[in-house]
Amino acid sequence: MASHTQAGADVVLWNASADAHDNISARTYGFWLYLLSDALIIAAVVACYAVLDNPMNAAGGPLGNQFLSASKGLVQTFLVLGSVLSYSLATVALKRGNKLGVGLGMVGAILLAVLFLGIGMGDLAALSAAGNGFARSGYLSCFFTLIVTHALHMGFGILWMLVMLVQIGVFGFTENVVARLLNLRMFWQFQASVWVVVYIYVYLFGGAH
Amino acid sequence: MAAHNDPLAHPEVRQGSVLRYVLGFVASGAAMYFAYVEALGKPPVVELLEILAGALLFSLLTQAALFFGLDISRAQIWKSVSLILTVPLFIIMIGITVWAFASLYNRTMPDPAIMNSMAM
Repeated sequence: MASHTQAGADVVLWNASADAHDNISARTYGFWLYLLSDALIIAAVVACYAVLDNPMNAAGGPLGNQFLSASKGLVQTFLVLGSVLSYSLATVALKRGNKLGVGLGMVGAILLAVLFLGIGMGDLAALSAAGNGFARSGYLSCFFTLIVTHALHMGFGILWMLVMLVQIGVFGFTENVVARLLNLRMFWQFQASVWVVVYIYVYLFGGAH
Repeated sequence: MAAHNDPLAHPEVRQGSVLRYVLGFVASGAAMYFAYVEALGKPPVVELLEILAGALLFSLLTQAALFFGLDISRAQIWKSVSLILTVPLFIIMIGITVWAFASLYNRTMPDPAIMNSMAM
């Protein structure tokens, strides 16, 4: 048939101008899916907390409204938001390839995160010292699990930033390093999202009723 | 593709801006401060829930748009879609768990007034 076209070297079988394989996007999307699954873990702990947040499960021990400080929680909220802002601004410096700007933003983020963790862990230590530790009641077990789960994420984020500070110095802004910095940005911003849920539900709602 | 050769030209690197991140910080922080002030007034539980849920939703939406930069652009659309597809899982996980246990408590636990008197 005259209209039939034989496949050959002169026939374009696919879009010749299609993008090349984008390693950075593939890695950030994969990491995004991990974050969504991580968010489901947090959701499971929050659901557990909601179930155990009543006098029966406090087993004679304290509930959140007896030991949580909304104002201290607000300070922690601004510390974690400030830390996220600092790291996010570091990635603005990344656009210009500014190593000093990226480094300063990351150091600022680390310092604010350490302050945040210091307040949170200090509160847990004081609670434990008063005899209201992890094993005191079902409610406190879940409260500690929720706070420590978030704190562990923050701790690993700090460790990751320290590693990236070294990698930037050694390798510069290579494709691998940039992909890791973008993943770390999502991971760090995710910590603020988790914390506002914890603050609103545990500190404000739980602390007020 | 430029992004293939120069990682700093990648759309996800280029999307960041000082204005967007500062706005995200201010908006999210303001929502939390508003919630804090309202909670201090100790309104009725239902009213408090509405205020806190509104502040939380606002804060999370501003973080999604301004921090994560989620939108329908070619670079971000699959992240936005996968987040939207995950939202029902959050609702199922938290909503059904709380509903199931609230229902269970109503059938098996002592009267709430008695439970409250058991605290401390």
